[in-house]
Amino acid sequence: MIKIAERFQVSHFLVFYLIHSLQFGVGVLGFQRIVSEKVGRDAWISVIIAGIMVHISLWMIYKILKNSGGNVTTVHRQILGKWIGGGLSACLALYFCLLAITVLRTYIEIVQVWMFPDLDVWVFTSVFLFLVFYIISGGFRVVTGITFFGVILPIYVLFTFLFPLEFSELNNLAPPLNHSLKEMAQSTKSMSLTIIGFEGLLVFYPFIKNPDKSKKWAHLGVAFSTVIYTLIMMVSLAYFSEEQLQKNVWATLTIWKIVEMPFVERFEYIGIANWCLIILPNVCLSFWCATRCLKDTFKVNQKIILVIILLGSFMVISLTQTREHINMLNDLVGQTGFYIMFGYIPCLFIINSIFRKVKGRKR
Amino acid sequence: MSKKTSENNLVNESIVQVVNKFKMSSDFIQYSDKNNNVQYWYSYFRTLIDTGTLQKMVIPALKDNNWQSLIELKNTIPIEEVLFTTDTNTIKDKLLDGYILITLTEYGVHCLLVKATLNKARDVSLPEVEFSVVGPKEAFVEAIETNINLIRKRIPDEKLRIRELQIGKLSKTKVAVLCIEDIVDEENFRTVVQRINEIEFDQISDSSFITQMISDNHNSPFPQLLDTERPDRVASILAEGKVGVMVDGSPHVLIGPTTLVEFFSAFDDYFYNWVNASFIRLVRLFAVAFSILVTPVYVATLSYHYELIPNDLLNTLVSSRREVPLPPLLEALFLELTIELLREAGARLPTKVGQTIGIVGGIVIGTASVEAGLTSNILLIIVALAALASFTTPIYAMGNTIRMLRFPFLLFAEWFGLLGIVLCFCFLTTHLLRLTSLGRPFLEPIYPPRTVDMKDALIRLPFSLMSKRPQQLRPKDPIRFSSKKARKNKDIDE
Repeated sequence: MIKIAERFQVSHFLVFYLIHSLQFGVGVLGFQRIVSEKVGRDAWISVIIAGIMVHISLWMIYKILKNSGGNVTTVHRQILGKWIGGGLSACLALYFCLLAITVLRTYIEIVQVWMFPDLDVWVFTSVFLFLVFYIISGGFRVVTGITFFGVILPIYVLFTFLFPLEFSELNNLAPPLNHSLKEMAQSTKSMSLTIIGFEGLLVFYPFIKNPDKSKKWAHLGVAFSTVIYTLIMMVSLAYFSEEQLQKNVWATLTIWKIVEMPFVERFEYIGIANWCLIILPNVCLSFWCATRCLKDTFKVNQKIILVIILLGSFMVISLTQTREHINMLNDLVGQTGFYIMFGYIPCLFIINSIFRKVKGRKR
Repeated sequence: MSKKTSENNLVNESIVQVVNKFKMSSDFIQYSDKNNNVQYWYSYFRTLIDTGTLQKMVIPALKDNNWQSLIELKNTIPIEEVLFTTDTNTIKDKLLDGYILITLTEYGVHCLLVKATLNKARDVSLPEVEFSVVGPKEAFVEAIETNINLIRKRIPDEKLRIRELQIGKLSKTKVAVLCIEDIVDEENFRTVVQRINEIEFDQISDSSFITQMISDNHNSPFPQLLDTERPDRVASILAEGKVGVMVDGSPHVLIGPTTLVEFFSAFDDYFYNWVNASFIRLVRLFAVAFSILVTPVYVATLSYHYELIPNDLLNTLVSSRREVPLPPLLEALFLELTIELLREAGARLPTKVGQTIGIVGGIVIGTASVEAGLTSNILLIIVALAALASFTTPIYAMGNTIRMLRFPFLLFAEWFGLLGIVLCFCFLTTHLLRLTSLGRPFLEPIYPPRTVDMKDALIRLPFSLMSKRPQQLRPKDPIRFSSKKARKNKDIDE
């Protein structure tokens, strides 16, 4: 059982921001190339399919946690026992850590490539992780607060995606639907790095004041992300030709290059700096989930665990220097996220519902 | 052991010992006289009592031959507050409060204390920090009695509760905690009283001492209690369900729990129509953002991202900076420090000289530094505007905070350019998120987002929509007035 005092809990509608922010990170800056690799102009359909998958996953998560009286660590312990369950929880914590590291490292790479080629990675990382520590040590309410601002403040960036419409070929959007089911499935799978993160709900569920009411908002959050992804994908497909899109690693950033306002040229500088506001809650939430998961499993002090994990992450981030390393990290996390979404969550859902039924009958 | 004996001695001190101790001060006076019946002694602090009262009321009564005992004398003296006591501690306190001590024998235990306090208070005058063109023109003064009177006159209701406390070992400052019963959240009231009682300090000179001692985070540059010198503002905020703290000797009253946006709302906002008031408030909020961010953005863009600026604008910028030998950060720091110097000098100097300094500083130093090629005139304009913008903040303490915040932003801008500004902004936001005012979130109603409280935050909506008290205060009675009566939907020509 995990009971959280009400003054540490957050209102149910804030789940919208939490879920959306966990999903929305660095993936969106460059997902166009990977997703359209196999299916070309059909890519926006796979984005929508991926979104629907997330909705199903989310529904399962709510079902799993509904009568658990805690979060995923409680469920693990109930079903799998202390040792195996604890081990699984630790794996989940590791996954959240990796997620945070990947997001931060990828963002730093973008900054290096687009803004500051000679950025001292370790200086920036230490400042950033210190900020993360400052936020997380304020508790979940502060983390949620930063999430809220991380969604609200950069929302104006969405309007910048209207600029390329002037130079777009809208006919590109008509889906030819000439790709096999397998290809579509593959491209949907490649969306995984962009859409994962919502699993954080597994951990922060007890912190929601009114979980039943929050369902609607969680689904809205996912829907919001999906709509944004689809829009960006459509704009990219309309703006780039298929060959061009394959040459752009960070297609979203390339789109910003043509944004022009009377007082601002080269909008990508502002955009990337602003993306820091989007990355920050994402990283914070992931680290928070990781540390909370460990706290609930092993009954350790969250602050100490946080410091250890942040120091470890600092080492990992400073050591990953090359593009290959970062790519590997991205692929690893994408793969894991994919298996969590399509393997782990459904399995847990089925086992959990059987477990509950058996237990209910015994009573 | 020794401490205990000394305490015992204190208790057993006789009046004579007290009087002898006080006699060490040269302004303590003791006289002895007698009328036809009895001989009497009276003593007082020359500097604390009103000699008029002594001459006109006390001495004639003493010289009157109609009394035999102190009890009889008590009825003769035409003054309300006359105490008959044997307690030496009371005697000490009251003598120090401007009472006259009367005894019949030099070694007597019984005595009479007559109030003849000299009240030298400033008259109620115009508000100087929060002046407004329209609206009431009275401001608090140093005397707490006058201040409470100003509030009582505005809220003639039995629900206005005042709890008086005394703090400070030396200053024995009177502090009054005000609230309106049935509206205020008891927890807020209790928190304030408890925190004030816990203060350990000898000399409390002003309400700002109390702000610093009872605020939730002592290390934050942000003031966490609102201070105001306007009785009208205090009265209307008490009606919302907040708690006020008055300190004797301070013309500023503290109010809590407060929120960040409240610091940017002037009381004028309620005197104008809501459209105009909202506009002015938005201008003020823009001014704050502008004041903090504009110089850092200048430094960031010119140090790292000059590609950001369109060609035409860049030409202007470059041509104005051509002669400047300093990097943008030093240029900006130089000008910001100049402005800070001018402000500080202006604040320290007497008004008339201060104006001269303003002109000398603003015109001569500014123009000369551009001509000498130390700074570009574009930055001069920017810095001057930013300084101007920071003075639009209605609460002076918050204005100081805003001017200070610019410097960390400047350093971060020099460090990581625009990214640094965003990082610094995140630090600031986190700090504000973690801040609380008397245990209530400081950033409310922005976060936690409460749409109901938005009616009087970034903008001010019409009074008819303000039927509910702010949720942040958890008031006992959340309804100010029935909104149904206030809002009537009428059809055309009805």
